[in-house]
Amino acid sequence: MRAEANNAGWYHRAVVYLLFLILLLPLAGTLLYSLATSWSATLLPSGLTFKWYVALWSEPRFLAAFGQSLLVCVGALVLSVVVILPLLFVVHYHFPRLDALMNILILLPFAVPPVVSSVGLLNLYGSGPMAMVGTPWILIGCYFTIALPFMYRAITNNLQAINLRDLMDAAQLLGASTWQAALLVVLPNLRKGLMVALLLSFSFLFGEFVFANLLVGTRYETLQVYLNNMRNSSGHFNSALVISYFAFVLVLTWVANRLNKDKT
Amino acid sequence: MSFVSVQNLQKSYAGNPVFSNIDCHIERGEFVTLLGPSGCGKSTLLRCIAGLTPVDSGQILLDGTDIVPLSPQKRGIGMVFQSYALFPNMTVEQNVAFGLRMQKVKPDERLARVREALELVELGSFAGRYPHQLSGGQCQRVALARSLVTRPRLLLLDEPLSALDARIRKHLREQIRAIQRELGLTTIFVTHDQEEALTMSDRIFLMNQGRIVQSGDAETLYTAPVDLFAAGFIGNYNLLDADTASRLLQRPVASRLAIRPESITLGLQGELDAEVRSHSLLGNVIRYRVQVREVELVVDVLNRSPADLHADGQRVSVSIDPTALREVA
Repeated sequence: MRAEANNAGWYHRAVVYLLFLILLLPLAGTLLYSLATSWSATLLPSGLTFKWYVALWSEPRFLAAFGQSLLVCVGALVLSVVVILPLLFVVHYHFPRLDALMNILILLPFAVPPVVSSVGLLNLYGSGPMAMVGTPWILIGCYFTIALPFMYRAITNNLQAINLRDLMDAAQLLGASTWQAALLVVLPNLRKGLMVALLLSFSFLFGEFVFANLLVGTRYETLQVYLNNMRNSSGHFNSALVISYFAFVLVLTWVANRLNKDKT
Repeated sequence: MSFVSVQNLQKSYAGNPVFSNIDCHIERGEFVTLLGPSGCGKSTLLRCIAGLTPVDSGQILLDGTDIVPLSPQKRGIGMVFQSYALFPNMTVEQNVAFGLRMQKVKPDERLARVREALELVELGSFAGRYPHQLSGGQCQRVALARSLVTRPRLLLLDEPLSALDARIRKHLREQIRAIQRELGLTTIFVTHDQEEALTMSDRIFLMNQGRIVQSGDAETLYTAPVDLFAAGFIGNYNLLDADTASRLLQRPVASRLAIRPESITLGLQGELDAEVRSHSLLGNVIRYRVQVREVELVVDVLNRSPADLHADGQRVSVSIDPTALREVA
């Protein structure tokens, strides 16, 4: 019996490790390539070096793209927090019936393929009174719509887990105004859902390419567009870029998880 | 002049009246219960008094002033919810202090009053805990302390015991009543549980379909139901229509008759011959179903000793106390 269980355990573990190996292999290869002096005709690279990373992190165009990506993502997320939080509050507190409509609306950014909607956006904002194609503003607005479903779903789940109406009623009877009740009682209890939503949207938006390339392109280069424009340069350099990008998102996720876990 | 008087209160949702022409008066320091089946409007009435639900028309006078135009913040009313509604992000102490923080009470006085309120509900040592670390009964006691600490003029309890298990419920029931007496706090309690209503209240308002059917103390409500609904909702009355009642009593009866099951005595010698159909043990009481003159009656007998038990099918006789017969409309 025991031997059998052990065997089964081995089998399960082997499958899991194999899966990890398959997923990590390309990443490991990229990491190794980014650290190699040169790696062409041999099985293993001929030497290890940090020069690609040094070159990358002292390249002003990369730093600019990195900063611009960060700025656009953070801008879109700030906008969505400012708009969606009050919206959610109003929907759930005053018009619970609108939730069904909202659930359909938030699917739209996913239902329309990015290539199609970017053509629409180019038409709409390419000229006329709201011409902003080629500026970061259109990207912030567009990213806002992409972040919407993530934010809405995660925070809705969180709102349903707390008893919004009774909490608001209790706070108001204790003398809090609607604003005080929302800020002191409801908002702190939405922290978890909000963090999850922000993290998810951020990692998604930080790696977004189609909208960035079509709507703005090189006029306000983001990280993914920069990577695309660099595709003909050294592969070692590009590998260093990909690994840097990956490490950044990984560290960010880890930090956010740590911050979210403080209180038990 | 009553301390609380609700006058001609109307409320409807989307054209459907929840209640209409509600009138009730509550004295200072009284503990009254709104009792009724779910959907009878009792919770809505409570929420209207709290100001959480707007009323269509009518007046609610609290200590002589109409509070209908006031926002819930300004009414000076405390409320305890069935769901506890404790703030999950705050400790027990912060929860209880919340109302005082909103009133801008100074920190040292605030602390003293929070301590006092927590001692009152016997949770002094739980000040630093979070709500999710407490049991249901403890949560509800924190909620009670939180609504008492601001010294409200009126305390509203919206089915505060319904989410708790039976043993805790009984204990907390007594604790709430003791605290209410000690503070002399005018209290309105909402429940659908007749036992809670009968044991706790000075006075009970029995509600059905948006109106107050009967009001009175527990004794009156239990022994003298005014109509069919009241007789059916409280106790386990035998309800007989006029024909059946005439057959049973062998004399003409003009209206429906309600007979309490404990006012009928079972014996081996008595007025009426009967046969035991079935019985069930409720603990201290045995509930028999007996057949008398083709009428089935429920009879409650105190469970004194196993030797007194009548088996199913046994011939017995019953006597009905004539003073316990109630004619109901």
